[in-house]
Amino acid sequence: MGQPSPALIPRRRPAGSGLLQRLEPKVLKALALALWGIALLQSALSGRLDLLLRAVFHPLVWASGILLLLMAAVEIRGRRGDDNRTCGRWTTWLSIGAALAVLALPPRPSFADLAANRQANLLEEPGLSFVLPPAQRSLTDWVRLLRSDPDPSLHAGNSVRISGFVLPMPGEEPHLARLLVRCCLVDAVPVGLPVRWPDDRPTPRADQWLSVEGVMESETVAGRQRSVVRADRVKAIPRPRQPLEP
Amino acid sequence: MNVERLATTWALFQALLVEAMPFLLIGVVLSSLARWISPGGRWVRSLPSHPLMGPLSGAALGFALPACECGNVPMARHLLVKGAPVATALGFLFAAPVLNPIVLASTWAAFPDQPWLLAARPLGAVLIAVALATLLRLLPDTELLQPALLEERRLSQPLDEVNLLERRGGLIGSPATAAGTTTLGTTRRPPLGQVLSHGGAEFLELGLLLVMGCAIAALVQTLVPRQWLIAVGGAPTLSILSLMLLSLVVSVCSSVDAFLALGFAAQVTPGAVLAFLLLGPVMDLKLVGLFGVLLRPRAILLTAGAASLVVLLISQWVNLLLL
Repeated sequence: MGQPSPALIPRRRPAGSGLLQRLEPKVLKALALALWGIALLQSALSGRLDLLLRAVFHPLVWASGILLLLMAAVEIRGRRGDDNRTCGRWTTWLSIGAALAVLALPPRPSFADLAANRQANLLEEPGLSFVLPPAQRSLTDWVRLLRSDPDPSLHAGNSVRISGFVLPMPGEEPHLARLLVRCCLVDAVPVGLPVRWPDDRPTPRADQWLSVEGVMESETVAGRQRSVVRADRVKAIPRPRQPLEP
Repeated sequence: MNVERLATTWALFQALLVEAMPFLLIGVVLSSLARWISPGGRWVRSLPSHPLMGPLSGAALGFALPACECGNVPMARHLLVKGAPVATALGFLFAAPVLNPIVLASTWAAFPDQPWLLAARPLGAVLIAVALATLLRLLPDTELLQPALLEERRLSQPLDEVNLLERRGGLIGSPATAAGTTTLGTTRRPPLGQVLSHGGAEFLELGLLLVMGCAIAALVQTLVPRQWLIAVGGAPTLSILSLMLLSLVVSVCSSVDAFLALGFAAQVTPGAVLAFLLLGPVMDLKLVGLFGVLLRPRAILLTAGAASLVVLLISQWVNLLLL
């Protein structure tokens, strides 16, 4: 509003566009390939992949990144006049843009948001082969154990030392949870334990990573007995390097 | 949409992209290799064009060229450009994502205690491929294939099959080969560097479409609560329909989707698990852009509709047998 219509503005060439116009399609294409290769390798090197993909699939990403860099090198070394194929300018520029965006903006998923969108407890595990002593069980171990032996009186009094992120639950206190992943973040499902948080501290906020030490107790919710962690000591921790559990 | 949800969507997008890109690259490498080993692509034109044998042999090609559904697009494009019978190329496009060693091995690894699934998945995939190929064959080539692809394809079709006016480029009256057909593609083996360069261009083009597909899939996944999709576990038909919808939305590669299906296999009917494993490789949100390289929009819609119908029928039948 109030600005001159575009037709009235003299068309100025942005600085550097002459250079951009002169860039050979071959160079552009090599740049795009190299950027994708770097994006894949960088996400593997910087640990971003641990957030996105199960470790089993990481070698594929490594190999792809290296292959893309090789393809870029071949492209640059190729002599002029070889009838190498290039893509349209738009395709190449958009591809470069997308690769730069992936490089520049690291993934920062909100686990609580992701988990709220998913149905919990979908995993049907084959029987547990062995059970660790209580204090050594991870959150996931506890959830699996409680699923195979749901009687709360079996576990009451056991000491608990677990870590996870805070998952707000509708109508009750937030749970401490982990995400289980079979392939990539897309299929993550949350598993969580109900926690009775200490009274002298404010209720933890969503997505915070905490380590909790306490004791397993049983409580009655809506006429049903269930196990709950009584948190004695709560400590904020940084997000673990591999936040996704298999 | 708040900031957190936006960040989550971006992470989902990256997860999908990082998971699918290696498989797309495998497909590009395979089609480049095919171009290098058989530059003229004569083997492609000797594939059977019989309405039933065509799709079947196309499906069987999956065993030789293992890639998932995004990797299959460059290979199917190569087949079509080199003049493969359309039904054969379509059979390959739709069935090969399931009928290949990697996918069958991962299905077996995910469901070792359900041998029926290991048989039903490839059988169902073949059935779907034959049905889709038969159906899409009813459309004339001009309404089925993308114009650019069609033009490239005509260059390698024998002159006696293509009207000269339909062929807008190339040599007229070039010497006929022994078989009485004319091949205009180079038959001399191109240098490896050139093949790689061609593969690079193909990767960038398809990669951009993959980026768009992953973006759509990630957006839809954060906007639609997952509960809506798998809330109706026990009901035979509803569970099939909801898992079909889930497979369209989730868009993971066929090489890994069995592990995903394992996650909710206990909650839903067996037919629904099969539906998830059958429909995902043929059609999903991520593929829409990639398919646009091969097929016209109407043909893609037709594929989506027909594939859903066939998957629904197969899965209903499985539920009748097993429930």
